[in-house]
Amino acid sequence: MKKKLVLAICVLALIGSVANAQSNETATPRPIVDTYETLADTILAAKQTEWNLVHTILGTTYSHAEGVLGRATAKLDAGQNASAEIETLAALVAQMGNEGDASVAAVRKRLLEGGHHHNAQGEEQGIYDEGFVIVTRASKKVFLDTATRIGKLGSSATTDALQKEWKRVQGEFRKLHAGTPMGH
Amino acid sequence: MLLGSCAAPPPGDTGTVVPPAGDARGFHFVDVADEAGLTRVIHAGRPGKDHLLDSAGTGAAWLDYDRDGHLDAYLVNGWKLSGSEVVEKGRNALYRNRGDGTFEDVTDSAGVDGAGAWGSGVAVADYDDDGWPDILVTNFGANALYRNRGDGTFEDVAPHAGIEAPGWNTGAGFFDADGDGDLDLYIAAYIEATIEEVLAAEPTLSWKGVDSVAFGPFGLTGAADHFFLSNGDGTFRDVTDQAGMRDRAQGYGFGVRAADFDADGDLDLYVANDSDANYLYRNEGGGSFKETGLWSGAAFDTNGAAQAGMGVAVGDVNRDLVPDLFVTNFSEDFSTLYIGEGNGFFRDASDGTGVGAATFLPLSWGTVFTDLDNDGDEDLVIVNGHVYPQVDEHPEFGMAYAQRDQLLENQGDGHFEDVTDDAGPGFQLLRSSRGLAAGDYDNDGDVDLLITALDEPPALLRNDSSVGSWLTVICDALPGEGGVIGTRIEVETGGHRMTRDVSSGGSFLSVHDPRMHVGLGSADVAEQVKVRWPDGATSVESDVSANRFLAIEKESR
Repeated sequence: MKKKLVLAICVLALIGSVANAQSNETATPRPIVDTYETLADTILAAKQTEWNLVHTILGTTYSHAEGVLGRATAKLDAGQNASAEIETLAALVAQMGNEGDASVAAVRKRLLEGGHHHNAQGEEQGIYDEGFVIVTRASKKVFLDTATRIGKLGSSATTDALQKEWKRVQGEFRKLHAGTPMGH
Repeated sequence: MLLGSCAAPPPGDTGTVVPPAGDARGFHFVDVADEAGLTRVIHAGRPGKDHLLDSAGTGAAWLDYDRDGHLDAYLVNGWKLSGSEVVEKGRNALYRNRGDGTFEDVTDSAGVDGAGAWGSGVAVADYDDDGWPDILVTNFGANALYRNRGDGTFEDVAPHAGIEAPGWNTGAGFFDADGDGDLDLYIAAYIEATIEEVLAAEPTLSWKGVDSVAFGPFGLTGAADHFFLSNGDGTFRDVTDQAGMRDRAQGYGFGVRAADFDADGDLDLYVANDSDANYLYRNEGGGSFKETGLWSGAAFDTNGAAQAGMGVAVGDVNRDLVPDLFVTNFSEDFSTLYIGEGNGFFRDASDGTGVGAATFLPLSWGTVFTDLDNDGDEDLVIVNGHVYPQVDEHPEFGMAYAQRDQLLENQGDGHFEDVTDDAGPGFQLLRSSRGLAAGDYDNDGDVDLLITALDEPPALLRNDSSVGSWLTVICDALPGEGGVIGTRIEVETGGHRMTRDVSSGGSFLSVHDPRMHVGLGSADVAEQVKVRWPDGATSVESDVSANRFLAIEKESR
């Protein structure tokens, strides 16, 4: 894919240089500009796709966490031990703060290695961590702190205590969910 | 068997005098490396530190390889480069402690010079449970595992053991992960790189827009850590994925420390990652682990930000018997004190304990919690040095390549005061330090400091402070009993209880004294010394007189 694109651009450049050599026209040849337009669309679409993908990661993690919360509260209401569910819930809430698990962090690092910063300006302003797309630093802290509190509840958790923490997760998630997709 | 009243290895034959408690002279450290004979220069690439490998440095270890009761020293070495030319492949060094404050270089006769590898870290443990401490050297390249033959010589058994793991290996720790009595092994790794890339490297990263420095770690691919399970016959197998320890974030791994962070009787593992979330692997039993760093409070700083983790210290700074963590970080960011809250949870207490402000500007590496004045609380030592020599050209930023190491005195409650200025000439040295190993090499009852630095011989900071009473507990086990890594003691005196543990590695690529030292202040007696062995067995000794080495041997199974 990448090779084909490079080849196409090289061919266009060759055509353009041959065409220019035969006239006094100084404008960049139209086919090259058109191709650049197409490339720009692709780049911007890719950035939008990245936003959508991270949004999906957050959404699926939230849904997963919501399901685990349901199982945990059901167990607690039945007087059963819900430690495993509570730890899973804590891990999922932390992952929301981290825009995914460690594997996602590795992808994010790879993008940074390639010089791609989704929110370059927001990073400079201290709003986003490097490479983060949706979760602001402030939201990240809320998710991480809440995850730790949930984890600490452990075997002494009650439904009320869990729901109280979940409300914080819910509120932060809704705030991010209501955020405007980039470019719109 | 509890040899409670036995006097242990020397110190009697050292002729040292234990100073009385209560003298107000304070801390006083003097560098005696040269007169002690520790003269091996630690090579570190090129003067300009064109690649990260040039500036990462190497570790040091205290161990008693000949079991004569005196700590011997081991130093890991790198290469000296000029441009892309290899000027000298540094040799590691083993120094035998003569027992009179000096050391003899026994590297050649012992056969532990590193065979020309570019060394990185060191871990020490009796991996084959034959009663003799062995040395693991992590390398840029294949690792070396020097098996101690017990006659003053070693053999490299890494290929046979299956732990060579070529790559840029860094921190390592032996510990019994699955409770079967054999020591398993975790080895962290930093970045994917070849020696050709290292030799061809040039400084290309813009530093504050004013100079070019070594590129990375961002822009370089993180190398995967390894976890090896012992087969019980001197060989290991890589079970990283099966054990739940896959390095999924491809973190830039450095410091490694095993400890029982959740007090459930088995050893967990902490890994400091440079610029990535740190890992806390909670031992789930049976050799499986769950990474709990993100939600236990130990992965990030209080703001939820990943830091540039380098070295790790474990201690109990507020004397609540819950392990606390300290992680050293890059300059212009504080090093982080994680206070243990029990059950494997932590909170960043750097701000408000004096640690954050004191550590913000230096670039920090090796570290240890240890009671340097024997007043009953653990102080904090941090060794420092920048990675970019170029910072010296820009004094407007207030940084320097060569930096002072730091001593932060515990005020008794986990709050610290930076007393570096008043800690004697040893703490005024300006070097680019890296590895730190703490140990009482002269057996005088106070803890001394062995520090590696780039392109220099090590420093040996002899502790000449006036100190209180002390007790050093030496836990030992007969061959075949599973060794002592992970053994934990609780010492009670004057209503306080203090805890220490035995580890095979920590700090930054380094190994501290395996004997457990506690300061007793003005007390003459420790009311109780309780030992919890790795297999859960316990030993107790009561009314132990102060200012002595107490040897306790594990009862046979």
